[in-house]
Amino acid sequence: MSRLSRFEEVVLPHLDAAYNLARWLTRNDHDAEDVVQEAFLRAMRYFERLKGTEARPWLLAIVRNTCYTWLEKNRPGDLVGLDDAGPLASDVETAGHASPTESNPEVILLQSANRKLVNQALEELPVGYREVIVMREIEDLSYKEIAAIAGIPAGTVMSRLARGRGLLREAIESRMRKAS
Amino acid sequence: MGVNKDSTPEPQIARDATYYRAPDALRTRVRAALREEAREQARPQMWRWGGMAAAFALVSVMSWNLALMRAGGGEEDRILRDVAAAHVRSLMVEGHLNDVASTDQHTVKPWFEGKLDFAPVVNDFAASGFTLMGGRLDYLDGHPAAALTYRHRLHVVNLFEWPAAAGAGDAAPVALTRHGYVLAHWRRAGIEYWAVSDVATEDLLALARLLS
Repeated sequence: MSRLSRFEEVVLPHLDAAYNLARWLTRNDHDAEDVVQEAFLRAMRYFERLKGTEARPWLLAIVRNTCYTWLEKNRPGDLVGLDDAGPLASDVETAGHASPTESNPEVILLQSANRKLVNQALEELPVGYREVIVMREIEDLSYKEIAAIAGIPAGTVMSRLARGRGLLREAIESRMRKAS
Repeated sequence: MGVNKDSTPEPQIARDATYYRAPDALRTRVRAALREEAREQARPQMWRWGGMAAAFALVSVMSWNLALMRAGGGEEDRILRDVAAAHVRSLMVEGHLNDVASTDQHTVKPWFEGKLDFAPVVNDFAASGFTLMGGRLDYLDGHPAAALTYRHRLHVVNLFEWPAAAGAGDAAPVALTRHGYVLAHWRRAGIEYWAVSDVATEDLLALARLLS
């Protein structure tokens, strides 16, 4: 089997994961597509280094690096430092979110409103929090995997997650208040 | 999944946030780029040196054809070769580049009237760094084609347009590298576009995006 077909078999199935991460980090379809193409070319060049490790986190580390290089060049303002040493976000009580599972029109409307709200609030989080939330909540990666991808200790992953969730919750609540 | 005592209702991110799936066009584009990369890697390094300057243009065309013959040359290769060879030819002799030389799209566009069975898209993108230089007729992939020329800094870009096959949908820009030249292809509103130059891939894709 050629190197290309092995690469296509092992790495290409994670195209959605790559695109999802790039899309959340660049916040734009076009840019995410460019970053993903670049990341796949890099991944193919370094394919030998994958050796037996899990392909998805390995690829996502490359996608993340490519995203950061892209952000440095095109949107340096997005790359704010995080204060990881600071206290965790306070446990703000959240008003009980409806978690409807039925599919009557009202529920569907509410769900799509939630979706918009959550998407917007998540997009506006600083990239360091946004990426751990996307990897944990949407991509369902483990703390260990996220730590390896982002090159930070697992403890920092956890504190960024907790803090990011807190910030997200606050952002969503303030949006809901404004909307009502 | 929670590791801590945090039992406050969370915004249900997993349920509410969008999982962005890769568009089909991206899948196609990535696969094409990978195939191209694999081909480039498989080929002897010396072919990459071809056509670095206009002075070596002829040598370049010859080595190109040789390299492609060696590569087997499918239909895509044939188009790539046609497009690249047309670019090299246009730069070989002074006066080959444009039949109508003008930076004014309102002069260039009407010049094509009656010469082609479709209306090429002609725009000046000087504000974005691509200054229209003019146009000429060419013949590629078995079609009469509009060739538009742009200047980007010190580089010349050839942009070819011809009508797409009936029913062919839009295709996002894909960029390929061939022996020091960058080629980009996309399809938009029934027109096939091929751009070729020695600019950076990103710059050529920037032009592609202005038109797609």
